[in-house]
Amino acid sequence: MAVLSVRGVSKRFGALQALAAVDLDFHAGEIHAVLGENGAGKSTLMHVLAGMLRPDGGTVLLDGHPVGFASPGAARAAGIGMVHQHFTLIEALTVAENLVLSLPGQTGWRFDRDATTAEAQALAAHVGLALSPGNQPVHTLPVGARQRLEILKALAGGGRVLILDEPTAVLTPAEVQHLFGMLRELRAQGRAIIFITHKLREVRAVADRVTIMRRGRVITTVGVDEISERGMAEQMVGEVLPPTRQTRHAPADTAEALSVDGIGVTDARGVAALTDVGFRVRAGEIFGIAGVDGNGQRELFEVLVGLRAPHAGHVSVGGRTLSTFSPRAAHHAGIGHIPPDRHREGLALTLSVAENFLLNRRVLDRFGRGGILQTAAARQLAARLTEQYAIQLASLDTPVQSLSGGNQQRVIVARELAERPRVLVTVNPTRGLDVHAARAVADALVAVAEGGCAIVLISTDLDEVLELADRLSVLARGRLSEPLEPPIDAERLGLLMAGAAG
Amino acid sequence: MKRLLALAAQALPSVIALAGALVVSGLIVWVSGHSPWLALSAVVEGAFGSADSLSEVCVKTCPLLLCGLAVAVSFRAGVWNIGVEGQLLLGALAMAALGRQVGPLPAAGALAFDLGAAALAGAAWAGIAAVLKLRRNVSEVISTIMLNFVALLFISYLVQGPLMETGGRYPQTDALADGLMLPRLFAGHRVHLGLVVAVLAAAALQFVLFRTVAGFEMRAAGANPQAARLAGINVDRRLLLALMLSGALAGLAGGIEVSGVTRRLYERFSPGWGFTGIAVGLLGRLSPAGVVVAALFFGALDAGSNAMQRVAGVSSVLVSVIQATVILFLVTLERARWFQPQAGPEA
Repeated sequence: MAVLSVRGVSKRFGALQALAAVDLDFHAGEIHAVLGENGAGKSTLMHVLAGMLRPDGGTVLLDGHPVGFASPGAARAAGIGMVHQHFTLIEALTVAENLVLSLPGQTGWRFDRDATTAEAQALAAHVGLALSPGNQPVHTLPVGARQRLEILKALAGGGRVLILDEPTAVLTPAEVQHLFGMLRELRAQGRAIIFITHKLREVRAVADRVTIMRRGRVITTVGVDEISERGMAEQMVGEVLPPTRQTRHAPADTAEALSVDGIGVTDARGVAALTDVGFRVRAGEIFGIAGVDGNGQRELFEVLVGLRAPHAGHVSVGGRTLSTFSPRAAHHAGIGHIPPDRHREGLALTLSVAENFLLNRRVLDRFGRGGILQTAAARQLAARLTEQYAIQLASLDTPVQSLSGGNQQRVIVARELAERPRVLVTVNPTRGLDVHAARAVADALVAVAEGGCAIVLISTDLDEVLELADRLSVLARGRLSEPLEPPIDAERLGLLMAGAAG
Repeated sequence: MKRLLALAAQALPSVIALAGALVVSGLIVWVSGHSPWLALSAVVEGAFGSADSLSEVCVKTCPLLLCGLAVAVSFRAGVWNIGVEGQLLLGALAMAALGRQVGPLPAAGALAFDLGAAALAGAAWAGIAAVLKLRRNVSEVISTIMLNFVALLFISYLVQGPLMETGGRYPQTDALADGLMLPRLFAGHRVHLGLVVAVLAAAALQFVLFRTVAGFEMRAAGANPQAARLAGINVDRRLLLALMLSGALAGLAGGIEVSGVTRRLYERFSPGWGFTGIAVGLLGRLSPAGVVVAALFFGALDAGSNAMQRVAGVSSVLVSVIQATVILFLVTLERARWFQPQAGPEA
């Protein structure tokens, strides 16, 4: 019988159905991977299991009995512990002190350092995790050791079920191997381990069974041996359908607008995030970069918009090579961008709509000659753009945060296109928008391309790439495939997304 | 009409905070066995009862206004300059030290020069915190608070040592040379030209923040540094500018106070203008025009508090209670009001 089951669990956030009647069983002594794209509902489901979210409907069963956890502490006391992607350690405290926070029984006023250290050591020994509880503060530990401490914390309540949310994202390859060894050991102890990831290779390496989720639903649950990496990729991204709109006739003979050659980037861990990435985009063409998130998309975006200098390779716009990598240089070279997260990077939410139109070096330079802002002219542009892009607002002076998501996204699109960039770099431009708003943004992109702009469409939404891109490559593990032209071979695409071929 | 409504909406939190603070302090007065009404009317009478009391309100308003502007410019840029007090002291020091002689310039020129030096001294003091922040990632909150103490003790040392008055009777600097005092606006009243300078500074700051590229870039950097960076704005340089501008306004406040009122620098020169400036800035919603109104309010409170003590028997310390409650109310309202749209669920 399953240790932990969910039956018909649903959860809705506003317009987004994050979980739709999910049924799942997790068994003792098994590593169960939950695979899916960002937004597939994995984390939401885990948050329900770990007592951090209450489902709108459905039940969670522990040993066949319905349970409703009021808090993460209650879930942990019942034996369900979760290790979050972002650690929840107190860095200034020692290992033992951090453990105490999760141990039951340590209440009252007095803190018995020796007793808790002993208890921590006993727990570590029992679980079989090599951990030096000592008096080292946590901030002196390497990431791998911190994660072991997190695992230990999660197991403090008995640890019958251990949930790990993308545990490998912060680890070096050697640490990943170590983690996998540890998970196998924990499995041997008869614990149920739930492993959330969107990396196919890791599923194959460590899991016994895999559940694939997409858009809040469970697509399938199978033994890892019964499915290939390509099969997993296909299930994860959905069926590869022919584009729903007639593919535009992309001009074949226009000038090359953007050329990217041999880009190499190393991330903070010292792991290669991009390796020898190169592609060319002609004026008027939409070049899609598909792939599962976390395979170098963020780094590629940062290089193209000048936030990050690659250690190798170069970027040229209209035949001119960028000599420095800064957002200012990128703007002046003619690269506009639609950032992946409009609230974090695209808009200054508390500033007015009119002011947000100025958040672009070239627009700002146009209206700021001599250092004085030509506010009247800038307002005229803002008024023209709101009309042209049909942005619904009460007044140009309202803070941009009062606009709906779709209208906010249109503000960004309008602003970035106002200076007619030669190249537009966009990441998941329609993510989180309703169908109508997404349609409008997609139409705007096509119109821009037809106006002669070269568009780089980096997207983890395969439907979006297939619909809009004239050609596409797949980014997998920091390497970019050869461009594919329509008609796209679904089988080959799945293979590329799984990173199985170059 | 629409503009008026928008203005009212902007001022609303300040009005609520103010009303709340008055109710709370009224309760305190009542609990301590005095009459809130008597206290209030004594404050009003003490602040606005006569030409002389009005002049005193203006004298108190002047440093508060400049300190409030200093807070506004840095907070707008997302730099939490808590060191306005220390920067003000450095400005006062520059004025007091340089102003002992007129020097080669004509007196008016020398006064302008010395006030400029006061602003520069304040900017330089703030610049220390700016460099620490940009080079070493030291929180400006901590460094500016600490630099307040350094400035305070530095001045304490100077007025008892190297800069102590000739003759050496009191721990204070020599009086400013005659030509270096800011002229009074009306004969017989203490209100001086510094008030005009402060109001002009408010107008200038309004222009800088809302009509110049640098001002927009500062506000953008404050509103969302990541978006500003991606837009091609040099965020670090704008933070530096905002902090130095803030320090310059604070330094100017100190310089003006010396050359407008005290004529000398001594220990406990400032009753905490730099700190009250935070309340002024927040109550003024970080907008120069709002800061003018807020400074006038606190100036009147300050000037009227003596009358309150005399007439109603309520300690003038109550003014500090009102200031503090205003800040607490405003900060609480901010939390409730500046509702950040939730990022979608991390699924």
